[in-house]
Amino acid sequence: MVCALCKISAPTEQIGVSVATNAVTDSTLGEVKVELRDVRKTFGTNEVLHGINLTVSKGEHVVLFGPSGSGKSTILRSINLLEVPTSGSVKFNGVEYGPGDPTEESVIRGRPLELRRSIGMVFQQFNLFPHLTAIHNIALPLRSVKKMSRRDAEEKAAQSLRDVGLLQWSGSFPAQMSGGQQQRVAIARALSLDPEVMLFDEPTSALDPELVGEVLSVMRRLATMGMTMVVVTHELGFAREVGDHNVFMEEGRIVETGGRGFFESCSHPRTQAFMGSVL
Amino acid sequence: MTPFSARSVNYDWGLVWDNRDMFWWGLVTALQVSAVALVLSMVFGMLLALGRMGRRPGSILAAAYINIFRGIPALVSVIWVYFGWSLLVGYNFSTFQAGVIALTLLYSAFFAEIFRSALTALSLGQNEAGLALGMSSGRVFFSVKLPQATKIAIPNIGNMFIGMVKDTSVFTVIGLVEIVRVTQNLNATYFQPFVLFTTAAIIYVVLAFVLDFMFRTLEKTLSTPTNGFFATLLTSRRSTRINKLIEVHGDS
Repeated sequence: MVCALCKISAPTEQIGVSVATNAVTDSTLGEVKVELRDVRKTFGTNEVLHGINLTVSKGEHVVLFGPSGSGKSTILRSINLLEVPTSGSVKFNGVEYGPGDPTEESVIRGRPLELRRSIGMVFQQFNLFPHLTAIHNIALPLRSVKKMSRRDAEEKAAQSLRDVGLLQWSGSFPAQMSGGQQQRVAIARALSLDPEVMLFDEPTSALDPELVGEVLSVMRRLATMGMTMVVVTHELGFAREVGDHNVFMEEGRIVETGGRGFFESCSHPRTQAFMGSVL
Repeated sequence: MTPFSARSVNYDWGLVWDNRDMFWWGLVTALQVSAVALVLSMVFGMLLALGRMGRRPGSILAAAYINIFRGIPALVSVIWVYFGWSLLVGYNFSTFQAGVIALTLLYSAFFAEIFRSALTALSLGQNEAGLALGMSSGRVFFSVKLPQATKIAIPNIGNMFIGMVKDTSVFTVIGLVEIVRVTQNLNATYFQPFVLFTTAAIIYVVLAFVLDFMFRTLEKTLSTPTNGFFATLLTSRRSTRINKLIEVHGDS
């Protein structure tokens, strides 16, 4: 059997990052997967994202961090349109899914459903379906999205569970599993759909400290395999380890960004103050 | 001396057994009307709940329907349908049809509120997880939200069904031969009101106990983790499949 985590191919292009507003560019950019341009989000009269520009290249691991309410999760949810931006461009593989850039005349537009079928997401609260067993949590989207037969879907779901070390828990319901196990099922569920990009929204924040390790271990393996990842996290140790492109945010703006070594070399006083309080 | 002193009345309980077929068919009729109305009310109730949770003007129309029909008594409803609607649409409804329509009109409003509260009780994350996995809104509703909401709603659905069966008693006014009508007919023949109406009351009480037990069993059967004899029986094939997969993939 082929391991689902192992099937994620390593990037053929060199990894690179660019954050336009902050003028961080890298001359070794790979194929651009996600591109946010001047993304703004308003809830009522409160603008929570003030023109975000972010590019995620194939195989890149982008880490978003910052204080609560800084807009990290909103950016992540804008990438797969769980939050539709008030204005701005959200492109995936060059296809426009957001409101768009008014200055751009000819652009291919896609539907949110197509976008979400190429992007996996893992939530802070796991969001497993409580009425389904672990294996059927994975098999349901396989049948619905990939149009697999029940037998094939259950087969693939079992493989996915084995890859995260939870095959023996196939018949268990989420309520019978620990938080760490639930999150690993959630990761397996997202990966089973063969996404091109994985989004992680504080995947360890709801876990006991003892259970954080097992989830980070799965994510670390995924990063090693070359999966394109955008991670919102407060686990700065993990961020330092896997982050190719680290983005510090505050009050809906990107304050500072940097590549590997960012945590040692960041210069903005606010970033330093935040990291001083967390690390 | 009063015309009906306690001493002068002969309590003939044997009447009940002698006319057990009539009581039985009255009971079956009441259950048939209620069961058909239950299914229809649940469907219309769900549509009303979705309408009320949706955008205007659908939400306003749904709210208006719910508030109006929750307030109409079953007696008024059935007379309105059986006599009023028949004149309006030029079609003579049978007593069975009129009973089903009357109950459906009223109980759809109650079911709408039951389903609305059950759907609201679900975490927003369930919807988001389904959408983020690339499932369509319809598939998320039918495969993720509806099964969970139904489970939450089952105790209330059981209560409503008991209420529906009891409400069929007023359909005697249009001539539906349910439990009360049977009792009235027998009483007209034998003049044994205490015996016959006590029997009718006992039938309703026993029926309520039985229905309550059935809905509790259903609730237990659908609970997760799997719990109880019926749940084990229903999920045995699924468990066998899963165990086989564990065996196969554990070895590979």
